[in-house]
Amino acid sequence: MMNSMSNTVEKLKRIVNNLDITKVDEREIKLELPNEQVLPTLLALKEDGYSHLSLITAVDWIDEGKFELVYILYSWDNGGKFLITTKINRDTPKFVTVKHMWPIARYYERELHEFFGIKFEGNNDMRPLFLEMWDDMPPLRKDFDPFEYSKRKFPDREYQKDVIHEAKIIRGDIDG
Amino acid sequence: MAVDERSLWEKIADKLRSRSLWMLHYCTGCGAMELPPTMTSRFDMERFGMGPMATPRQADILFITGYLSAKTLRRVIYTYEKMAEPRYVIGFGSCTLNGGIYYDSYATINRLDYYIPVDLYIAGCMPRPEALLEAFNELMRMIRRGEANGWKKYKENYEWYKQNQIRSLGEVFVHDEFHE
Amino acid sequence: MTILKVIAVLLTGFFVGLTLEGIARKIMARVQRRYGPPWYQNFIDVFKALSKRGISHGWIFDFGILMALGGVIATLAFVPLGDLVAFPGLDNIFIIVYLFAVGALGMAMGMVGSGNPNASIGVARALTQMLGYELPYLISIAGVLYYYKTSSVSGLMMAQQDTWTLFKMPIGGIVAFVSLLGMLGKKPFDTPIAPAEIASGPMVELSAKYMGLLMLMHTFSIFVEIGLFVDIFLGVSNYFTFLLKFTIVWIIATLISSVLPRFRIEQVVKFYWKVPLSLAFVQVLFVLLGWVF
Repeated sequence: MMNSMSNTVEKLKRIVNNLDITKVDEREIKLELPNEQVLPTLLALKEDGYSHLSLITAVDWIDEGKFELVYILYSWDNGGKFLITTKINRDTPKFVTVKHMWPIARYYERELHEFFGIKFEGNNDMRPLFLEMWDDMPPLRKDFDPFEYSKRKFPDREYQKDVIHEAKIIRGDIDG
Repeated sequence: MAVDERSLWEKIADKLRSRSLWMLHYCTGCGAMELPPTMTSRFDMERFGMGPMATPRQADILFITGYLSAKTLRRVIYTYEKMAEPRYVIGFGSCTLNGGIYYDSYATINRLDYYIPVDLYIAGCMPRPEALLEAFNELMRMIRRGEANGWKKYKENYEWYKQNQIRSLGEVFVHDEFHE
Repeated sequence: MTILKVIAVLLTGFFVGLTLEGIARKIMARVQRRYGPPWYQNFIDVFKALSKRGISHGWIFDFGILMALGGVIATLAFVPLGDLVAFPGLDNIFIIVYLFAVGALGMAMGMVGSGNPNASIGVARALTQMLGYELPYLISIAGVLYYYKTSSVSGLMMAQQDTWTLFKMPIGGIVAFVSLLGMLGKKPFDTPIAPAEIASGPMVELSAKYMGLLMLMHTFSIFVEIGLFVDIFLGVSNYFTFLLKFTIVWIIATLISSVLPRFRIEQVVKFYWKVPLSLAFVQVLFVLLGWVF
């Protein structure tokens, strides 16, 4: 862990009690936080130079019944990366928006709403972004069956097995 | 008008069309990589009078490469209907044939000829430039013999194609924030 | 007789122009180490385009295409091809320049009438580029007119009995040739028709027979532009030597264009108004001072 990143972690420990830190890499630190401490942490990191929001994404832990939200923050000063993760309930997925901190977050949140069905309070612009005319449950949830959907929507090509041709290949009449 | 009957004028025009094919390539996925060698100095597509075209209005061939998702298929249909007749479609690679590796994805179209008429398929993943040239020559032979009749089929069976498009896409012309 | 001569001029423009375009494609292919299409490729392209079923975009579109083609054909009828002059005494350079604007404006009108934004961008670029190259070209020509005291193109041609204008006024000749590259829309001045940026610009909505007519218009306009250059700068010529000089100029332009990338539109205007315009003024100054070789 680089010095600047450990300084940042020290600062965070003053804000957040019992911080759960995982060192992913030389320049990558993962923090697992309870829901209510995510926004203060993000704010503190943003003031500390980690001002680039690379991505907001989600992971579907279907056995626990949880979605894990992941905020990836990047610093242009030292190249360090912080992964802020928090778990929210899978049945009523709701979180607060960060679009007042990073305007680009609007689009990430629209994408999450489209692919996971997570709602963000304070961000009312939840039009579909990538999918057009989508008529099923959000497609990146683990309980969505894409194969069944594909069968239903996009008919497959039916093949007919050419038995005689294969027999000829097996007998050695023609080169397969 | 029957599909296989041609007047003398049509026969002459078909001869000319086969020697001057302009191609609009709809390159999604990795198939686009095979076109630069085909166009440039090694295989030189221009020997046959073929060339790339930038706009669907002037193109004769719609060359569809790689995956089609539900979103891009809609644009392909727009493009196909913008082209001037006679128009030909080549499906390149196994993605257009049967969906390729991601045949079970929720967004991947599995067979192209269900939605627009395809004159020629090139099988393989990826087909090499030699296969591409062979396919172009085969298409020229088909045009000269009057067999490349996809555009006539599209006119005759328009209801069937339209119904398939609507089944997979919901509706063909959408109005969202990108089309306002 | 006049009608026969006009027909001869137009047929020359059609056959020689399309053949030379095919040869230019062949040359470009050979420069890029390719085999290239056959020399008659452009004939096939034009007839194929005329045989397709097109889509119109309203009567302004149709009328604009016809006006472009008609304007360019009318211009070509006035250009003397060596000693083949369709309208003797009327082949004045001002007539040709003004008539040539009719074709360009007709094309602009028709293309904007198609309603495609790419076409509007292309037309705006084409007219901006005209603003760039017309100025040095006309100033360089003005020096020639002042020197020979005539504005008839065949008169200018016949006045070069002893030496070519190109050798008398080399700077003006070079300026006119660079402006000619811009007129032809060859690289590096093919900004209006940029297939990679604006989907061939003005031609974006042209299908089938409209495209065929526009290709013909392009061929004829090439003939007008290079024909003027050959008549004014490259000495006395009869019909056949005219075609020979025409071919040489066209091949040199093709060779220059086949190895260069494309300017942006503001770079085009900046270039034309910096280098050729100042050189054209220098040439005119030399003519006024009488320093002619």
